[in-house]
Amino acid sequence: MEKLRLTSIKNGGNNSRTVVAVNHVKVGKDFVVIAGPCSVESEEQTIETAHRVKEAGANMLRGGAFKPRTSPYDFQGLGLRGLKILEKAKRETGLPIVTEVTDPRDVSWVSEYADVLQIGTRNMQNFSLLKEVGKVGKPVLLKRGMYSTLKEWLNCAEYVLSEGNPNVILCERGIRTFETYTRNTLDLSIVPCVKEVSHLPVIVDPSHGTGRLSLIESMSLAAMVAGADGVMIEVHHNPCEALCDRDQAMPPPMFATLMRKLRFLSSYMNEINHEMYRTALEHVK
Amino acid sequence: MNLEQIRKDIDQIDSMILKILTRRMELVLVAGKLKSRIEDREREREVLETIKEKSTRPIDAGFIEKIYAEIIKESKNLQGKNYKLVAFQGKHGAFGEVASRVWNSELIPVPCPEFRQVLEGVESKLYDYGIVPVENSLGGSVEQVNRLLINTELSVVGAVELPIHLCLLAPPGTDYREIRKVYSHPQALAQSRNFLLRNKLEPVEYSDTAGAAKMLAEERLKRSAAIASKLCAQLYNLEIIKENIEDLDRNLTRFLLLSREKSGEQGKKCSIIFSTEHKAGTLFRVLEVFAEAGINLTRIESIPNEPGNYAFFLDFVGSDRDLKVVQALEKIAERTTDLKMLGCYTERKPE
Repeated sequence: MEKLRLTSIKNGGNNSRTVVAVNHVKVGKDFVVIAGPCSVESEEQTIETAHRVKEAGANMLRGGAFKPRTSPYDFQGLGLRGLKILEKAKRETGLPIVTEVTDPRDVSWVSEYADVLQIGTRNMQNFSLLKEVGKVGKPVLLKRGMYSTLKEWLNCAEYVLSEGNPNVILCERGIRTFETYTRNTLDLSIVPCVKEVSHLPVIVDPSHGTGRLSLIESMSLAAMVAGADGVMIEVHHNPCEALCDRDQAMPPPMFATLMRKLRFLSSYMNEINHEMYRTALEHVK
Repeated sequence: MNLEQIRKDIDQIDSMILKILTRRMELVLVAGKLKSRIEDREREREVLETIKEKSTRPIDAGFIEKIYAEIIKESKNLQGKNYKLVAFQGKHGAFGEVASRVWNSELIPVPCPEFRQVLEGVESKLYDYGIVPVENSLGGSVEQVNRLLINTELSVVGAVELPIHLCLLAPPGTDYREIRKVYSHPQALAQSRNFLLRNKLEPVEYSDTAGAAKMLAEERLKRSAAIASKLCAQLYNLEIIKENIEDLDRNLTRFLLLSREKSGEQGKKCSIIFSTEHKAGTLFRVLEVFAEAGINLTRIESIPNEPGNYAFFLDFVGSDRDLKVVQALEKIAERTTDLKMLGCYTERKPE
């Protein structure tokens, strides 16, 4: 792809894929699971959910303090108070924080609290915001616009990289199609596509990708098989009370089961890869 | 002016009344240390007369008399309780006060404008204790205090190692995105320099951290914040915009607790001050004693005393009831001039 000077694989070389270090978590090396509520609603809800996802084995905590919502009358997030709650959750669980930033004026402040700055699907092409997050050193989780091609998406990553911030994690979260049964159509095929053309790590968000609780588990497992570097799952300690995206919020016990399955699948895939490598070696002999 | 604004002003005044009342009660407690008797009818009448004379409409003289009767009653009640006072330098919310609470939250902290007044106040029996910072892990020794310690007759009866956590505070309702100026003590501004740079905030020097917080709360400055302790947020009704804004985690200040009497309990640490003759190897001969006795030194500081002469501060691990320490100190007395045992004490940290 032309003009992708910094994001395309030629520049990275096949063996030098980007690994984004978030404290002790290495995105692009290990399969990472980011879990937590859609939005920070209260201290109790966030901290309780943080403990539950930590117990189940999640690597990072997600939670929105600034929510870009379809309607201006929907819950808009707690703002600074939400950030303080996330900070407390991090202090208690040690989980790094992934949270969305929606306004260029907020970037430096959100960076004071967050370990990863998330750019939401609606802001993927907010170029002034992309430039601003490119100027701070924090890793950026760049969601794919729900209407965007791979090339448009990578061009947005290019904006961040060209400002001097190499730590970009891509995130597939479903695209708009004619299908209405699911909230979006999760485009899993984009994962190996990204791997073909770019050195950046890519994770999958099956919660927004499907919008249906019953589909999240299978799509998470499929994401791992497709070669994704991780998944991002919405978990709420009490989904019935969630102020946002109630239908896709996963209760903690279900999340714990998913984590167990992911671990099994991961060791099984390691085994396959190991076996393939061994056979290939024998063949050479 | 609408009702909402008037109510805000009233809240502000209530908070001022509370602070002034607190200050009055502190002074009452200090006065209690000097009085032999709590009851002083003559003084009570004098206070009431003055206040009644000054009351103007719509305040009724009878109303003010009732309030003052209560205040005087409570004053006597407080004086009867024999509270222990600890003086610290700065305004309420200063790190000295935070340290005093770590040592013993039962003590009543009383602010003093200067370090000198802390020590003199304890010496003249106004306060039971004084708490002073001696060194900071980033800023180094607090020379002003160490200089005062050379000549004091007070004993060190305790030490507090306080991690300094700085908070960005602003009047409630401030939009953090509009903050431009940040007021604080130069030391605190320096310790959060990167934070200020990252967020494009302009540092403005102020005499002390708690004072900056107090000023901000009283003046209700727009687009401004202060860097001070978390305690200041509570005391001055300020909102914490961000906690722990210091650039380095290892920001510790060591405070010493001073008293007229020596510590009664068995200490674990000792502080001494001495001078040596102006000859080759004299300081070495002192340190040699510690090395031979296997006593671990935790601090050594030199303060220029008279021209060409230095006072040495030395802290070491051990108790003055320990034979090893007693013998070492006897030897040191022979090899130094003006040896003074500042005290043997225990050290406390926040939980």
